[in-house]
Amino acid sequence: MAYPPEQIEELKGYCTKLSALPEGGVTFLYMEGLRLPAGCNPSACDALLCPVAKDGYPSRLYLSVQVASRYPRNWNGSTRIGERNWFAFSWMVNLSEPTLTQLLIAHLNGFAKEK
Amino acid sequence: MKTEIRLNGALYAKIIQDLTRPHPFAAERVGFVFCRRGSLRDQGSLFLLTRYHSIPDNQYIDDPAVGARIGSEAMTWAMQAVYHGRPAREGIFHIHLHGHRGETGMSGTDAREIPKLIPGFQSVGREAAHGIIILSADHGSGWVWLRGSAEPVHADCVSVIGTPVGVFERGRKK
Amino acid sequence: MNMDRYSRQSFLGPNAEELLSRCTIGVPGLGGGGSHIVQQLAHIGFQRYVLYDDDVVEESNLNRLIGATPADVLAATLKLHLAKMMIYRLQPKAIVRGFACKWQENPEPLRECQIVVGCVDSYKGREELEIACRRYLMHYIDIGMDVHGKERPVIGGQIIQSSPGGLCMRCMGFLTDEKLATEAARYGNAGPRPQVVWPNGVLASTAVGLAVDLVTNWTRSGRSHAYLAYDGNAGTVKESLTLRNLKITACPHFPDADIGDPVLVAL
Repeated sequence: MAYPPEQIEELKGYCTKLSALPEGGVTFLYMEGLRLPAGCNPSACDALLCPVAKDGYPSRLYLSVQVASRYPRNWNGSTRIGERNWFAFSWMVNLSEPTLTQLLIAHLNGFAKEK
Repeated sequence: MKTEIRLNGALYAKIIQDLTRPHPFAAERVGFVFCRRGSLRDQGSLFLLTRYHSIPDNQYIDDPAVGARIGSEAMTWAMQAVYHGRPAREGIFHIHLHGHRGETGMSGTDAREIPKLIPGFQSVGREAAHGIIILSADHGSGWVWLRGSAEPVHADCVSVIGTPVGVFERGRKK
Repeated sequence: MNMDRYSRQSFLGPNAEELLSRCTIGVPGLGGGGSHIVQQLAHIGFQRYVLYDDDVVEESNLNRLIGATPADVLAATLKLHLAKMMIYRLQPKAIVRGFACKWQENPEPLRECQIVVGCVDSYKGREELEIACRRYLMHYIDIGMDVHGKERPVIGGQIIQSSPGGLCMRCMGFLTDEKLATEAARYGNAGPRPQVVWPNGVLASTAVGLAVDLVTNWTRSGRSHAYLAYDGNAGTVKESLTLRNLKITACPHFPDADIGDPVLVAL
């Protein structure tokens, strides 16, 4: 599973290091030190961006910690990927052919919305 | 610090079937098997065998002084495979079979000749572990050269995850 | 080895006790299913165990948790402790590594197993165990039961063997994206699930039978996978119908690239 190089380069701007993590036929994008929106605690953490459908979501952003934010989130996505434990909150992103960055931002917007 | 070499039953059967085939002139066959590493507690390691490469008949050298000798074409293939396996930190093991039952060790020829291959593998696949596996009719032994190491670790166990499960432990009396 | 003790299971083969004693078996989950399994494994002669459970005995467990008593409820005994005592009473020389946590919190010990018997209660949990077993080349045996319907309850369950190189739970039609999605959507709203002792016993016994066959090959079947469906109302355990319609002969879900510690590829 390959992603367009220009989208990869753009995504790198949101984290300290970007890697690919293949597992089970899916290539996750492993983002070390992803910067989180204002009001989040911590302000950065590791993350996995899954741009394909998984566990009933068209795409998903998994985080290395359950992030505290202005609005409480429903953290229903505890999972284990790449021999590490991850967390995700319930947030459906439906975009038509987004770039990786558009996808990431749409998921991060989940922290900013009350519902 | 536990060291275990592990493979699935289908791969084990494939290896045994290949190594027991008669060769036109060599007394025994050898092969290469590829491996990925798994970490255990207390800095122990699992060496997980993934795929096997059977050396074609015409890549052996007719040398009656030894059981089997492989030529440069076989070694070139192996080195290229190690090179291509670098992103995945995939290591390579030389593997062959001794015909007796029970725990096996390196013969004098094995100990003299096979370890000579390891530095070459290490120079190409620096991040991986490489080594030697010797199977017997009902047991298996392994020696692993960890990354950058000049001396091998004698594996505590070789296990076959098939039916039946085979757990070949070093030094265990029957 | 005291041969009298195992004389009634000599049909397993002349070296069965030696083979069983060398195998390391993992049991994540020591509740209704896991407690049965641990008891039987100890009876039959397994000596090496890796166990996980972070829970304590509660009142509602007493209808099915093997070895648990009202005193354990009062004492808030760890289920792990019960399991360890069960094993040591039967096998005083057993080597039991037990962890009062979820296996995901301390996964390295599990990798030392040749066989893992999963007694977890979610599809997600099963998926995660299977992925770990495929990564580190371990046989995985899964059991589970459920009770559906209020007007006429129906008990169902499964015993599945998923082995490295063989068909996986997705291949066999047990794990699907739909089931995982439905379960994820219900998260937090599932409530306590019905659980009773006798289906757990059937499932656990069948799973132990699979484990013993993996070690001794006494049936000479050499099976590479299994999916047995339990009908608790009819009282039957039969090969699942999904296996009869399988078109897959090789598993596409766990490539060699997924074996071993994950390797990140810098982009």
